[in-house]
Amino acid sequence: MPFPIQTEPIEKTKPIEDSVPKINNELAVGSDLEFQRRWWRWENGIWILFTAIVVADLLGCFGRGPLANAHARTNDGTMDISYERIERFSTPSMLKIKFGPNASRDGAVKIWVSDSLVKELGNQRIIPQPDASTLDGHGILYTFQSTPHPDTIQFGLQPTSPGIHSLTLRVQGAEEFNTKIYVVP
Amino acid sequence: MYTIAHAIVGYFFLLLAVRILSRRPGAQLTPTEFVLIFLMGGVIILATVGDDHSETNAVCAVIAVALVHRIVATLKIRFPRLGAIVDGTPLVVLEKGQWQTEVMKKMRVADEDVMAAARTKSIKTLDEIKYAVLERNGAISVIKKQQ
Repeated sequence: MPFPIQTEPIEKTKPIEDSVPKINNELAVGSDLEFQRRWWRWENGIWILFTAIVVADLLGCFGRGPLANAHARTNDGTMDISYERIERFSTPSMLKIKFGPNASRDGAVKIWVSDSLVKELGNQRIIPQPDASTLDGHGILYTFQSTPHPDTIQFGLQPTSPGIHSLTLRVQGAEEFNTKIYVVP
Repeated sequence: MYTIAHAIVGYFFLLLAVRILSRRPGAQLTPTEFVLIFLMGGVIILATVGDDHSETNAVCAVIAVALVHRIVATLKIRFPRLGAIVDGTPLVVLEKGQWQTEVMKKMRVADEDVMAAARTKSIKTLDEIKYAVLERNGAISVIKKQQ
């Protein structure tokens, strides 16, 4: 659609009006003390809000703090999971899974992760590298060769989209772990 | 897309933060206020560009901020109340030999600040001042008494 054409001539000059309010009828300042008083009250509210935000951030309500850190263990003792229940968009974090002795079968640990780990939570690397990774339904099955006492694997995350994302982890033949991870912008 | 959204959010958040820091950052910057302005700008820039250091990203962010600023400036002229919200209104801090203590306290203006502004107009003492006005840009205008 073309820009509208100005049909009326643009006013190039206009006479001076007494448009700026005066004080003591002599100094044109345009002061509005009543408006300013209302602003100060509003400003106080904003400072209270800012203080609350800083306190909440220190506590980890927006990630990277004590309230954000989570720890869970499956009832059968297969997995001991440390993660951040509140993540920050595009900010690296680690999800650690410590396996129990019953996680290893036939010299390998097979763990299925939902695809949200790769998509929304932005899995960047796995330590150690899995020996195999297989697409399996709405997730990925990772296989790690292990001794009868497997230790820990770590996923390096860097969330790619803000929001609430479900995450499922399951060692083959064992109890499933479900959680929701909040990614703040 | 994220860059433009972050740049717009950053613009308005910085505008709010600077606005409620009273007016001193706008003029008469002290060393501590310099630190404040540069640090806040630096922090906002980190979130704005993220890990995209491309020329495209930088150009889009600058254009987005320029556009938002232009829109705000236009709206300020059209709606004077918005101008008062964004920039504030001038405030009288000294009137006919009387300090306006409420304004001075709330705006964190000291009599030394008024005197500093007065000296730039070759005014030697406070009793030579008829009016002192804290302007919207943070400067203090001084009107001398008639001799």
